[in-house]
Amino acid sequence: LVPASSLTPPLSRSFLLKSLEQVRKIQAKGSALQEQLCDLYKLCHPEELALLGHSLGIPRAPLSSCSQQALQLTGCLSQLQDGLLLYQGLLQALVGISPELAPALDMLQMDVSNFATTVQQQMEDLGVTPVLQPTQGTMPTFTSAFQRRAGGVLAASYLQSFLEQAYRALRYLTQ
Amino acid sequence: LESCGHIRISAPIVHVGNPVTASCTISQNCSHLDPKPQILWKLEDEAKQPGDRQQRLPDGTLESTITLPHFNHTRAFLFCFLQWANSPQVLDQAELRAGYPPTAPSNLSCFMNLTINSLTCLWEPGPETHLPTSYILKSFKSRMNCRSQEDPVVDCVPEEGQSYCSIPRKHLILYQNMVIWVQAENALGTSASPQLCLDPMDVVKLEPPTLWGMKPSPDVAPPPMGCLWLGWEPWKPSLFMDQKCELRHRPLLGGASWETGLPSSMHTYELCRLLPATAYALQMRCIRSPLPGHWSPWSPSLELKTTT
Repeated sequence: LVPASSLTPPLSRSFLLKSLEQVRKIQAKGSALQEQLCDLYKLCHPEELALLGHSLGIPRAPLSSCSQQALQLTGCLSQLQDGLLLYQGLLQALVGISPELAPALDMLQMDVSNFATTVQQQMEDLGVTPVLQPTQGTMPTFTSAFQRRAGGVLAASYLQSFLEQAYRALRYLTQ
Repeated sequence: LESCGHIRISAPIVHVGNPVTASCTISQNCSHLDPKPQILWKLEDEAKQPGDRQQRLPDGTLESTITLPHFNHTRAFLFCFLQWANSPQVLDQAELRAGYPPTAPSNLSCFMNLTINSLTCLWEPGPETHLPTSYILKSFKSRMNCRSQEDPVVDCVPEEGQSYCSIPRKHLILYQNMVIWVQAENALGTSASPQLCLDPMDVVKLEPPTLWGMKPSPDVAPPPMGCLWLGWEPWKPSLFMDQKCELRHRPLLGGASWETGLPSSMHTYELCRLLPATAYALQMRCIRSPLPGHWSPWSPSLELKTTT
């Protein structure tokens, strides 16, 4: 394990506390979106959409530099911001999914975007060059309402597990 | 008959107490209706009076000028009359207004509303200006210490006569500092309030938690005397925030003062060493912590009776 305290330069406590709060805020919104997708379209099990996700090319953002075994701070921040920008783009691709979901999708997108700004600013404060555009491949294109809904379920699910990993890393960094 | 007379004024809006100069010109065809035409002036309901000077201009028009040295109305009509066949005839009317430039709006404060997801700011406009005065909530995004100016935020224009405005979520970057101030403007000048530097999330306004009564735990029989049990949950939209809460209680009767304490972070709480068999009022409030925030109002009173 890489002791969090050995990481230089250290992250500000305010950044860590705010980031933890932002992760929880986004997770709450993400869960609400998942619930709505389940209620509206009976698409309640992302694991049943794995094949479709693969064929649609819905990306998952890595956070390998944030694992406690190989925590590399600047790499972790870059992956975190890269992933947030990726999911922000993915959520953007879902716009038009349905009028009922639009408000929740908007709010989720804004919260993800704001968290990306928080991370970007911390990177700039540390003198690390922030990511401007996601390095992942291009965004998937959805050719049917079903694909867009399924894409929504998968994007929300991938985002939740991404955030779970981020939360663990941030908690670890606060110790 | 083309219009006979026309008033021109030095300024339609002046500072209260300042002078106003007006001139009334009467066209040739009207001014020749009377062998010795006289132009008279009237301000609101005051008596008619001749101008300071009346003269025939080279083009044949008749002009009278008047200066009102200290215009103390905030709003008044100035009339120009021509005496015609022994009867004063109104030829034109001008509206004069006076007031004050806006003073700097004060007591600007903002809070983030998590229900409607907007940042609401309110201020005190200051003394009456007697003039149409616009107030605009202006802001721009910034960095840590608000010394740098980044993207401007769309102006927030309050409803007519209101001293608050709400910036919608889409114009906000949460967890980033922004600079906010109020600009006031009317015909006589502009002014600006002091600037605030804040992160919208640091001024979140929490609603009170929810309290409910609970039965004593069955494993402790009989329940201790002078105790009561309650459950509580923070306000739902704020569940993602780390918070600390305060619980206060007092006997319902006898006008006792509140006693305040910090409940455990567990959402059930046993409160003992109270008067037995006594009805108590309990209230709780919460605040974002350790990150900055505002206390919520106290919750409505929960009334519970202690064990005998």
